[in-house]
Amino acid sequence: MNLVSKIKDARLGSAGMRSAWAIDENQTLVTWVQTLPGKLTLLAFAFLTLTFTLSWHEALFIVAAMALFAYWPLWRSLILFASTYIVAFVFPHSSIDDAIRGVAAHEGFTELSPATLSYVALVGFSFIAWGLLAYARHHKQSVLAKRPLLTLIAIELVLCLLSYPGVLEGLPRLVIWSLLCVLVPYFWYLAYALVDQRSKDRSSDLFQLGAFHPVWGGASSIPIGKGAAFLRKMLAKNPEEMAITQIKGVKLLLWADALLALKILLKWFFEDYCRIPSVTDSIDASIQHQAYSLSMQWASLLWSVSSYSLRIAISGHFIIGSARLAGFRLPRSTWRPLESRTLIEYFNRFHYYFKELLVDFFFLPTFFRFFKQHPRLRLFFATFMAAGVGNALYHFMSEIELVESMGIAGALESYISYAFYCLILATGIGISQVRMNMGYKPSASFYGRIQSFFVVWGFVTLLHVFSDESRNHTLLDRVQYLLSMFAISI
Amino acid sequence: MDNIRKQKIREYFHETLKQQSDGQSLADNESLFVSGRLDSFSMMMFVMFLEKDFEIDFAALDFDVNLIDSINEIELFIDSQVSV
Repeated sequence: MNLVSKIKDARLGSAGMRSAWAIDENQTLVTWVQTLPGKLTLLAFAFLTLTFTLSWHEALFIVAAMALFAYWPLWRSLILFASTYIVAFVFPHSSIDDAIRGVAAHEGFTELSPATLSYVALVGFSFIAWGLLAYARHHKQSVLAKRPLLTLIAIELVLCLLSYPGVLEGLPRLVIWSLLCVLVPYFWYLAYALVDQRSKDRSSDLFQLGAFHPVWGGASSIPIGKGAAFLRKMLAKNPEEMAITQIKGVKLLLWADALLALKILLKWFFEDYCRIPSVTDSIDASIQHQAYSLSMQWASLLWSVSSYSLRIAISGHFIIGSARLAGFRLPRSTWRPLESRTLIEYFNRFHYYFKELLVDFFFLPTFFRFFKQHPRLRLFFATFMAAGVGNALYHFMSEIELVESMGIAGALESYISYAFYCLILATGIGISQVRMNMGYKPSASFYGRIQSFFVVWGFVTLLHVFSDESRNHTLLDRVQYLLSMFAISI
Repeated sequence: MDNIRKQKIREYFHETLKQQSDGQSLADNESLFVSGRLDSFSMMMFVMFLEKDFEIDFAALDFDVNLIDSINEIELFIDSQVSV
């Protein structure tokens, strides 16, 4: 039996495995999960899967909140709001505290803990957000209602300028800075909520605010589950749909646990046992003329891409799995990215909700307005605006605190490499989009799929040299490093 | 919207779904895009179809995908645009 046949048989075997795993299609199980013992068993399983990554009390809280939301429909908005804000205060995100700490110390407020400041800022932000939602609702022709993203970007820029060293001092600077630190992780949630104010069947303000970093959402600044508009459309409509969604949620949580275990094992093997350096360390060594061997450099890059991909998949699965416990029939955030046959398909499969954010706020507004008489250019430009400009803007804005520590010029200069990454990625995805529009379809044969895998993941891997999150190296450093991996020196 | 136009819309989506090897039936009130049955690329192609066949200018609207998420909603949307 040759290799092709073995792989084909394995794929048929995997189809059998997928069939066995499709327990959400088992009517007996679905019916049982709707009974009290079934519900309790499902929730217990969910709790156990979450304790793999969360503390037991956080896991218990999330499961309890999801259960209340699922089974107490009359109080859903209040349950969502209360549970989201309890999590925000009891299990806060350390990133906000860290960002506030430096400025608080600089302005002499050492007695106020960053945590206290972030709580106060969060309460203040929530009231401001509530006010903005009401304003957009009652003033539909206002700039805020018609151009919510531009308005929010302007607000963030103003807050950033006001909190810049030397503009304000003391408490006013600290207050403005604290508000900015809260706005940054909540930015896109507020953007989605403002857009929803146009809908005839928009969600209540309680639900909207509850969907801001929702109880199931972890620390992600990307609204996984988008906003209230998407959530209400995806909510299970009857007890059977609820049961199926919850079973799928537990399955996804189990899969997240399996991937997490795999990541831990691989991390031990590559980093602790084989001592594969990080890409940052490898570039450092190369700059200092103490470059690692070519095989180590390639291993470093491949492991970095694998580790990053696993991290994105795992965090997305935990979030979606938890949301499904509440009855939200949300698509997975990462779905079989290794099967991507084109770059545009990769963009859709790898981080679905980030792609949706870029489509909703960058692609569509551009697509509707520009180059209507030139379909291919229209498609390319809109894709470029999303995958390039939107991507770059998202990441720059999410690290806006670096403007305070590095200065505007420093923050921009250290960002050039990532901007280059966005430029190349957007160009690749734009071309892929246009080719698909022209009818190009990659070969579905076995060898065609292998070729597609190497093209897509080869592109992603090489580009990863420019996208790692450190800002320690210049664009030239990274170009030289990448070329050195092909034994080319400049 | 008259029945001929609505049938044209139905046929458009049946053809689109067929191209994606989706042979399941499509009800007029079923979610097309928000549910994920059709992706954002398909939505763009449909927008271009509406621009060409119904002369709708999306730049002048506050676009929301829910406006065109089912055949029934598309019918209401087109009627509102044609009467403007």
